[in-house]
Amino acid sequence: MSGGNATATAATYGDSRTQALDAKLFSAFVISATFWLLIATAAGVLVAFEFSYPALASSPWLSFGRLRAVHTNGTFFGWASVALVGVAMWTAARSSGVAIQRRRLAWAALWAFNIATALGTITLDLGMSNGSQEYREWIRPVYVFLLAGIVLSGVVVYATVNARRDRDIYIGNWYTLGGFVFATLIGLTAFFPFYQRGLGQVAVQGFYIHNAVGMWFTFLGLGIAYYALPKLLNRPIYSYALGILGFWTQLAFYPMIGAHHFLFSPLPWWIQSLAVIFSVGMIVPVWTATGNFWLTMHGRWTTIWRSYALPFIWAGIGFYFLSSTQGSIESVRSVQAVWHFTNFTVGHSHLTMYGFVSFLAWGGIYAMLPKATGKEPSRLAAGINFWLALLGVLIYVSALSITGTIQGLTWATGNPFIASVQASQPYWIARAVSGSMMYTAHIAFAYNVWKMTLGATSASAEIADAPTATGVLA
Amino acid sequence: MIAPEPRKGLGNTGLFVAVIGSIFALYAVGMAVIPGAILSKTPPGPGVAPLDAEAQRGRALYVSEGCAYCHTQQVRPLEQDRAFGRPSAPGDFAYATPELLGTERTGPDLSNVGARQSDVWEAIHLYQPRALVAASVMPSYGWLFATRDAAGPGDVTVPVPAEFVPKGKVVVETPDSRALIAYLRQLKQAPLEKPRS
Repeated sequence: MSGGNATATAATYGDSRTQALDAKLFSAFVISATFWLLIATAAGVLVAFEFSYPALASSPWLSFGRLRAVHTNGTFFGWASVALVGVAMWTAARSSGVAIQRRRLAWAALWAFNIATALGTITLDLGMSNGSQEYREWIRPVYVFLLAGIVLSGVVVYATVNARRDRDIYIGNWYTLGGFVFATLIGLTAFFPFYQRGLGQVAVQGFYIHNAVGMWFTFLGLGIAYYALPKLLNRPIYSYALGILGFWTQLAFYPMIGAHHFLFSPLPWWIQSLAVIFSVGMIVPVWTATGNFWLTMHGRWTTIWRSYALPFIWAGIGFYFLSSTQGSIESVRSVQAVWHFTNFTVGHSHLTMYGFVSFLAWGGIYAMLPKATGKEPSRLAAGINFWLALLGVLIYVSALSITGTIQGLTWATGNPFIASVQASQPYWIARAVSGSMMYTAHIAFAYNVWKMTLGATSASAEIADAPTATGVLA
Repeated sequence: MIAPEPRKGLGNTGLFVAVIGSIFALYAVGMAVIPGAILSKTPPGPGVAPLDAEAQRGRALYVSEGCAYCHTQQVRPLEQDRAFGRPSAPGDFAYATPELLGTERTGPDLSNVGARQSDVWEAIHLYQPRALVAASVMPSYGWLFATRDAAGPGDVTVPVPAEFVPKGKVVVETPDSRALIAYLRQLKQAPLEKPRS
């Protein structure tokens, strides 16, 4: 493969009108994602407090059972998907040296994502659920809008990458295109009911629950890293070959591992065993990608604080490494016997969806949105966003990992069940407090989104080609 | 304008998408659709029967209220699960759609709860869990019940301790509370046949 094109084609596309239209589209995706981040994580903070103050669930609309799915689906689809799709469209265009193609479809996709999240949030809170299968609780008519959003934005990214000037597809776009293709197939597989009765549905759910995370969010997240890191450092990615090895091994291993969510269940033993084997195999793509990013950064670590975006991107890559390696270890049967069903899993999912996915989404937005709109974020708010989110998620995951271990050991040593609830209380308070820190970070981020989109034009951005506070972005 | 270079192999965007899409579609069929289709035909185990209409409505309420996010319905073949019943068998789930196996146990497993608790216990506990289990963090499902000044003819009163009931009121069952309790009471594991020696 020939490489290095990501750094060569920056900002040489179209006229100023095209640039403004692309920037407007990108801004709309980020604003929409931020709105749902604030809604869905507010639900998360509320239910976190309900673990210590159950009386807060004073009406059906505020109870844990309904708001949990509002929180997970809202963060997955309203926030993370829309943010990553917005960044993916922008990076696909910039790395291809063209404008975003099929812009009207992109707007239609944004509408579809928003209709899905709005209707999904309302219907779930009214008690209308497709079942308690995680991340596909939205009723079918609502889920159709989500699928439409994924397919339409996939067409936009495809058309944009296909309009590129270079012969080869940039490695970041391998991941991005892959994410859209896989998410479409995952969504369709989950949608049809013919092979989903009783235990059959458990098998499909095992496939869905994990692939929806690792073949969608991971691919779009890595797509950002493969674009933004070389771009911010103004040097090519260390190794194309490693990036491609990571891509194929992830595609080969990851679709096999979902059933590790149902270890010791009545699912056939071979499905469970394959899941464990390939979960451990995931160490190959994870360490490959992390090593590749590390070597790309080699010798430039001192520059990390010169940009708003790099700390977020590196936190994201670090959490990717930690959470995925943790996932491989966690899948082994002897370990699962203790940790399965406990809060350890909830900690793990926040390490991935928050530590990895959300930090990379923030990194991508801070790296590219100011370039798109010519408006800079507030340095202070970016700092609050980074540090409160980082400290928050570290405390959150530590608290839930400890309490998950305590819960598992309490059960294994034959105590009455309620002992595991009582032992968890101090850690649940820590979770609610750290969740509030994370929410404060989201408010700071929302302020910056306003600064970068609708706010007044920054003085520095008015001078064309001047180095901006985002650092080395050329 | 430089003439575009020919795009061969995976440099062809359409071919790239077709190749990775086909590979993943094979996984989707092999790991989800085919196992799903085969397992959907799992015959009911001995003594496993469909729910009656009221319990079926109760099961729908169980889904609406998201009970499965804290209560599993799968007993693992592990020592620590013994309190919840016998290990779950594939035939237990023949009529269980949508599946409610669950992934988290903030509260106990409910596969066999019908054998452990009574109607009255379930009613009081749903109305106010802390009336029976002081340290419980379960939401109180007061909205499934009605509170009245006095029980009317045909009302079934729930004997909730006075400190948990608004002053001068009584708690009575509603069709919703009755349906959910009917479902919980029907959650009983059918005994497995003894293996022939």
